[in-house]
This record gives sequence, structure tokens and C-alpha cells, in this order.
Amino acid sequence: MKKITQLLMAGLLVSFFIFAQNSFAADRSVKVLGWGAKSGPLKSFGVNSEAALRSAVDQINSAGGVRMGDGTMVPMEVIGYEDSSCKKDQAIAILRKTASTTDAVVGMGTTCSGVCQAMFGVLQKKVGDTSDSGLQMPILADTCIRPGLAKISDWAFRNVPNEVSMYDELFAWLKKTHPNVKTFTGGSETDQGHSFGTYTAIIVQKAIKAGFEWVGPSVSQLGPKVGQGKKELIAAAKSQHWLMGDTNYTVQARKIKKQNADMVIVASHPFSACGMLKEMKRQRIKPKMLVGLTSSASQETLNGCMKAAEGIIIPTGFAPITAEANKANGIVAKAGGFLDLHSSAAWENAYLVKTAVERASLMGTPNSLQQDRMNFRNALASITAMDGLIGPVTRDPDSGEATKPYVYAQVVNGKWKVIHDPRG
Amino acid sequence: MEDFWYEFIEIIQTIGDGLLFGSTYALIGIGFTLIFGAMGKLNMSYAAAAIAGAYSGLAAFVLIDAPLFLVFLISSFASAVLGYLLYLCCFRFIPSSNHLAALMASVGGLFLIDELIVHATQGSPLTFPSIFEDSYFEIGPFGIRGDLLFVFLIGLVSTGILLYVLFRTRLGLATRAVAQQDVAARLCGIGVHKTNSMTFAIAGLLGGIAGAMTAAAVGVLSPVMTVPLTIKGLIVTVIGGLGSIPGAIIAGLFVGGFENVFLYVRGIDERDMYVVALLFIFLVFRPNGLFSKTITRD
Repeated sequence: MKKITQLLMAGLLVSFFIFAQNSFAADRSVKVLGWGAKSGPLKSFGVNSEAALRSAVDQINSAGGVRMGDGTMVPMEVIGYEDSSCKKDQAIAILRKTASTTDAVVGMGTTCSGVCQAMFGVLQKKVGDTSDSGLQMPILADTCIRPGLAKISDWAFRNVPNEVSMYDELFAWLKKTHPNVKTFTGGSETDQGHSFGTYTAIIVQKAIKAGFEWVGPSVSQLGPKVGQGKKELIAAAKSQHWLMGDTNYTVQARKIKKQNADMVIVASHPFSACGMLKEMKRQRIKPKMLVGLTSSASQETLNGCMKAAEGIIIPTGFAPITAEANKANGIVAKAGGFLDLHSSAAWENAYLVKTAVERASLMGTPNSLQQDRMNFRNALASITAMDGLIGPVTRDPDSGEATKPYVYAQVVNGKWKVIHDPRG
Repeated sequence: MEDFWYEFIEIIQTIGDGLLFGSTYALIGIGFTLIFGAMGKLNMSYAAAAIAGAYSGLAAFVLIDAPLFLVFLISSFASAVLGYLLYLCCFRFIPSSNHLAALMASVGGLFLIDELIVHATQGSPLTFPSIFEDSYFEIGPFGIRGDLLFVFLIGLVSTGILLYVLFRTRLGLATRAVAQQDVAARLCGIGVHKTNSMTFAIAGLLGGIAGAMTAAAVGVLSPVMTVPLTIKGLIVTVIGGLGSIPGAIIAGLFVGGFENVFLYVRGIDERDMYVVALLFIFLVFRPNGLFSKTITRD
């Protein structure tokens, strides 16, 4: 009898430990917090990134979750997705709150390059620099695309396409495939850092490099190098640009009409790109070729101006061209979002977090939070390649920038169609 | 010489486009000036109510697939109802001698409406049904946007109806009587509050048309439009002369043309700076505007 009681006691004890361990594992999770523009003219960016992130996290959890340092499998948890509204102060406030009052191991987002630039600026610049009191919080960005931002801090990581190579290859390919297109002009929105910066420093220069002739206002300093003649271009072409919230594009469209270029570049986000494209259509401006900004390769453009955007060609880091991309596209659509250049990166980032957590051997306890963040950062920094939705994504450890595969998409009969994959 | 002619044609075209677009500013300016003329007070929430009215029209379009004329009608009536409510909230119970309180209450109304729209739409721009989107008339080297021409014509018709109401109806007579001397009007048996509330509602009708017209011309409706429209309406009212309806019309067209010329000459980054400078210059050097007479009461 005594033996049976002892066995029962031992059994109960073992059961208790197993139960305790399981419930501990159940309580633990890898917490992430996202933010992006969920209001204002760029609302769709935040909404789509949130849907993609949450959908990917659901997929990871239904496949077993994330393996922690002690071998237990725990779920990943999106503890919130805040609205930074494309405002620098709002994003910085969210970052500070995330770092100090939540147990999120990584911050994920955000919309708008200018916002990322400001936000990365409050992070510690160099890891281990005790004289720098900047925030020590890993940030993994999906949307802010302006080149060079990853160098601002060792804590900032980006999974965004490289627009320099995207436009470089796009124009080279267009030149080869459309020899009748010889001249170009265009315009952009001056109050959006990404659009205007990319247009004046990269797009125009890459088109010139490919052999297209600029027929906009005369700028002798323009050349094929990134940023060449940028200042002079801004000054000379100031009447053919617009603001994101503009309501009247008649002057700009007429300037472009007068230049009678074979190719017109509308480097703008969907809201104002549609305004400009509609005005061009109204004024019967029919260039042989229309080229747009990467961020406009989205459903938003089709919703706003499907007819006016017909024929526009845009390089994009996402298209449902692989089985994995197609599956993700369907899942995110069911969740009420659209996968595009930016939101697809949010999907990929969820898997990147899983890889980094498993590599970093995180403990995921309240006492280990700061060490977990540091270990996570170090693991993220050590990852130089991953499987993206449409192909392998690599990261240059020196510049911190990612290199992602991309394709060229065109609006054909009111739908986005992949017209070329540079990888062959 | 060819360059000269090109620039000449471009400037004329730019002014023409601006004048046509300025007709929406004129409609907003008339609303401001109508209320100022009747009560001697500025209703800062007027343009916000106009945009909110347009949102109501858009809601009808989205929810019940309302035809365009109904969208405009609903926009107009919703804005009229909002105008009436704003009168009750911001003006009716505030002593008429306390101009600042009424002004600040209407500023509060502006921000409240703006926030309500942002809350309801998450601030996202919504596609508004366009009218004559593809119509573009080319006359020699000049081009005229059909939709803006329509806006201009609707503006003229609305103004004509408004002037008829003001000068040919008993309501208009009562409005003018209250505007000139409210105590004497009351002694003559005119209900001052009823007349004022009707004035707000009529101004709202006009604002709703302006809001819907602006949204139709742009093709989208966004809460970011409320503050610029308020500013443009104020500028138009000041330049035209507070209380002057012909002044508001001419100033509306003038501001539209002026901002387009500065966009053409100085570029997008400086355009709004010159338009706001215009307000400053008028306030400093000609505070009565172009057409307002010096008001002498009692």
C-alpha cells in the first residue's frame, strides 16, 4: 500500500512538472509589435502590412510556432499593430513605448521613408557603444524603401528592394525591347521623400544611363550616376511636380504634354499618381510608354484609376509568380489585405523573425528581455540570405541593405500582369 | 518669338484653368460671405460641413448606388442640415455681442467635423464619382476641362438662384432686414433666429454643392481637403469683401487663377505661400476687400 502511495505521489509529481512546463510554454510567446500608416492617404500600406504580418504569424503558429533556446516550441504573437500615420513624431513615440513598456522582442514596420529615417535616428548607432544612450530595440522594416537608411543604426534592419538596381535594369531592358522609345520626361510629388528622392536621384539618372534622352527642362548637369544633377533638376523642373494632396494637375500635365516625350515617368504614390494620370488622359497625353514608382504597383492604383493607369510599367518586388507567393497572396486576401511590394516584405519578415529567434536561442522570459533583444539583433545581423516569396533575398552585412528579386509589372486590361522577370 | 507665343498661350491657359477651378472657391466664399452678411460673424466650420455633406452623398453612392444627381442632392441637403446644426451649436445661444466665442465655437466645429470624418474613413481618400471625366474641349491651342466647365456653370446657376432668393423672395427680404438691423427686423415681426437658421441652411445647400463639385472634379474625397478649402474660402471672402456676394464670386475666380499662375511661374513648393501672402496683403492694406462697403450700423 505504501509503495502504491509512493508511486502515485511520484506520478502526480511528474504530471505536475510536465503540466507546469507545458503551461509555461503555453504562456510564453515571441512577441512582436508592428506599426505603419493605418490612417491618412497612405492608409493602405499599413493595413496591407498588418494583414500580411498577422497572416504569416498565423501560418507559423499553425505549423508549430518558434523553437526557443530551451527547446520548447512557443507561438509568435503580434501584440499590436499601431497607427504611425506616416508621421515622424507618432512613429518615434510608438518606438519609445514599444522599447520601454512592452516585452516585444522586435518592432516591425513602418510606412514612409522619412519616418524610418527619423525613427532609426533615435536608436543606438553602434552596438556596444556605451556612450550612446540611443534605444536598443531591433527594428525590422518592410515598407520604407529610400536607399541608404539601414546604415543609420546597427539596430535597424530592412527587407526592402534596392531601387537603384531595379530601375537600372528596368530602363536597360526597356531600351533593348522598345528601341522606338527615345526620349523621356516626368514628374513627382515633392512632399514625399521616397518618391521625390528616388525620382530626382535614381530614376532620371538610370533612364539617362540606359540611353534615353531627357526632354524636360534643360539641366546640363544631369548624367548617369545616382544623384547626378539632382539639385539642378529639382530647380529646373519645379513646375511639373505636385504635392501628395493636390487637387489640380492641369499645369503639370500641360508642361509634360509640351515636352512630347516618348516615355513619361509618374513617380508618385497611388493617390496623386492617379490624379496626374487622369489629367494626362484628359489632356490626351499618350506617350509610347508610362513608367511608375515602385510603391504604386498596388491594388490601390487600380482602385483609383484603372483606366488612366492602363499600360503603366512598374518594377515590383512581389507578384504571385511562385507557388509560395500565390498561396500567401490568397491567405492575405482572405484576411482583408493585398500583397504587394511592401506588404509581401511584412510576410517575409515574420519568417525572418522565426529564423532569427531560433538562431539566437531566446529564452523569452521577462528577466531575459534586454538580453533577448540583443541576441535577436545579433542573430538578425548574421543572417545574410533567406527564402523570399518570389526568390532568395540576400543582405549585405556592410551596408545592411537587402537585395531582393523583382519583376516588371504592367497594367493590362485593368489588371497587373508580370511582363518580364529579369532572372530569366 | 515662338517661345513668347508659347508662354503667352500657356499663361492664358493656366489662368483659364485656374478660373474654372476657382468657381469652387467662389461657392465656398459665397457661403462664408452670406453668413457674415446676415450675422456679422464668420462660420469657420462652413467648408468642413460642405465636405461632410459630400461624404454623405458618397455614402449614398456606395451604399445604394445612387445616381449622380441624387449624390449631389444628398450632399447639398446633408450640408444644409449640418449648417443648421452648426448654427444651433455655435451661434444660436451665444450672445450676439460675443463675436470671439462664436468664432472659436465654429473653429471647434471645424475640427470636430474633420475628426469625425477621419474617424469614419481612417483618413483614407475615397473615390468620388466623376462627372464628364473624359470630356476635354480643344479650341485652337487652348483646352477646357468639361467637368470644370460644368462646375463653373453650376456655380453660376447656384449664384443666380441665391441672388433671386435674396432679392426676390420674402425670405431674402427678411435676411437682408436682419443683416441691416436685427432689432428693427424683430420689431417688424421678422423672426431673427428663424431667418438666421434659414441663412445657415441655404449657405449649407450651396456648400454641399461646392463640396460635391470639388470632389467630383478631383475624383476623390479626403479629409485633407477641409482645411485648405476653409483657408481658400476665407481668402476669397476677405479679398472679395466681407458680406459681398459679387465680391466672393470674383475673388474666388481670382484666387483660382492666381494660384495656378504661381504654380506655373514659381513651382509647386511656392504656390501656396503666395496665395496666403495675398490674404495677408489684403488684411493689412485693404481689410474691406475689393467690393465691401464700410459697414455703418446704428
